[in-house]
Amino acid sequence: MKPIENVPDRKLLLFKSCMVSQEYPGIESATGYAFDRLGVDYFVNEEQSCCTGIGHYTDLFEGLTTAAIAARNFAVARRCGYPNITCLCSTCYAVNKEACELLNTNAEVREKVNSIFREQGMDDLVYEKGDMDPRSNFYHAVEVLLSKVDLIRENKQLDFSGVKAAAHHACHYYKVKYQDVVGNPENPQLIDDIAAACGADMVRWYEDRTLTCGMGFSQLHLNRNTSLQVTKAKLDSLKNAGVELMLHMCPNCHIQYDRYQPVIEKEFGVEYDTVHMNIGQFVALALGADPYEVCGFQTHSVPLEGFLERIGAL
Amino acid sequence: MMLIHVNKYDTPECETLAETAKKSIRTPDSLGLDRCIQCGACTASCPAARFTDYSPRQLVKRVLENDRSVLEDESIWSCFYCYSCNLRCPRNNSPVTIVQVLRQMAINEGIGLERLAYFVEIGEYLAENGASKIPGPGVRNMERDLGESWIEFKRDLESIRAELGLKPRDIRDTGSEVRAILEGTGFFEREKWIRAGGRGNVSALSHSASPETVNRETASHETPQCGV
Repeated sequence: MKPIENVPDRKLLLFKSCMVSQEYPGIESATGYAFDRLGVDYFVNEEQSCCTGIGHYTDLFEGLTTAAIAARNFAVARRCGYPNITCLCSTCYAVNKEACELLNTNAEVREKVNSIFREQGMDDLVYEKGDMDPRSNFYHAVEVLLSKVDLIRENKQLDFSGVKAAAHHACHYYKVKYQDVVGNPENPQLIDDIAAACGADMVRWYEDRTLTCGMGFSQLHLNRNTSLQVTKAKLDSLKNAGVELMLHMCPNCHIQYDRYQPVIEKEFGVEYDTVHMNIGQFVALALGADPYEVCGFQTHSVPLEGFLERIGAL
Repeated sequence: MMLIHVNKYDTPECETLAETAKKSIRTPDSLGLDRCIQCGACTASCPAARFTDYSPRQLVKRVLENDRSVLEDESIWSCFYCYSCNLRCPRNNSPVTIVQVLRQMAINEGIGLERLAYFVEIGEYLAENGASKIPGPGVRNMERDLGESWIEFKRDLESIRAELGLKPRDIRDTGSEVRAILEGTGFFEREKWIRAGGRGNVSALSHSASPETVNRETASHETPQCGV
């Protein structure tokens, strides 16, 4: 288990996520807003590339490419003095953490990656065993926010009392490296604890709480009907539990629930009242951020206006 | 013809499926494949099993029986890679990573390449921009699903990003390093193979010999041996 006390608030490389950047850019700006107000020392480095996650998990990239791209990003993180890679996307988190473990434990792969760097004249990217630690150099932004939960509670400007909310903890955060998770991976509570500190009434257990969002990388695109059935199962559970706000920690899940909720309503003849946001957007909102200029809610598919008005954010 | 030369760490050539799975870098070193007790916790936890014919328990059984027909079984393409089986297995087995190896083995034999073709442009986009994106066919499907509001949002993305204080486009400053890495790992050979539907011209590695000969030789010289 990862003790929350060990989550650093210094030298965090806020790892850019392709799906955040292209679908919900407000997650990055809102997390930055929250980090600024919580005294977190972070840096966004444009030299950092995609983790390869989408290609890796659609089977397009083989493991060597993923490991080599990760090693380059580790060099970028170390070079700028912000070696604590902190992800907005659960797949970036899992890919980086796994690649680090592989590079530390598999000398053959490490040497192959380094020989590619040397052959291409990129000696400064060479990865030595132990340059990064899979346990102490990799975090998800939600862990950093949870480590500041008392400050969030003290400084909140918006109270979510009376809001019935539920969390969707992303699979690639707590099911891949499940022995290195804050709390119990069978019942993760990171998002719940943060939201409860802002007054939200959290539904801590609902049917299918640990069910995947249904995106499944290639599944949304190639097995669309199954993908949407999985998503619907969870939306149905949230509806049955009377949940009005679903909180996320991964842009892939966010796409699946927010973008596809209206599609599921239309195709399956159902109606949902649930709205969606990322936990970084939620915390920023609680700390006084503008819903549009900081949280970027104008990029969402399920309109939040009614909800925001009711809680006094508009 | 096979494509093992650019995929040898995912699919090391071994005598059995189980050995390949255990040696692959896609699976953890501690993989409890031999410890599987066929309890079915994986299948009970699996979203694909709930809605399709996929069964991670059966998949593991077939791997242990060295039933190579599993590579041609459509159901291996149904896994969501959600890792619920990885979390729930009481024996530290990991069907989700084993199925990743099986898919890579299938790809080596030219199976499932049409699925990869859907995503293949991600590679060149990554080399060029340092970022990934939803590939063209995916964008077209999403446009159909999500309609005008999403299309309009994508049109306004740059101005929204600027409003949020972010750089207007998701292009990273990676120089030519990412492209050089993809060249060095052999990704572009793999890309050609996928685009050609397994009838690929992988002649960049060959001189006078046929691609088939080169690939077999490359495989036999470079593929890690399992020692079993």
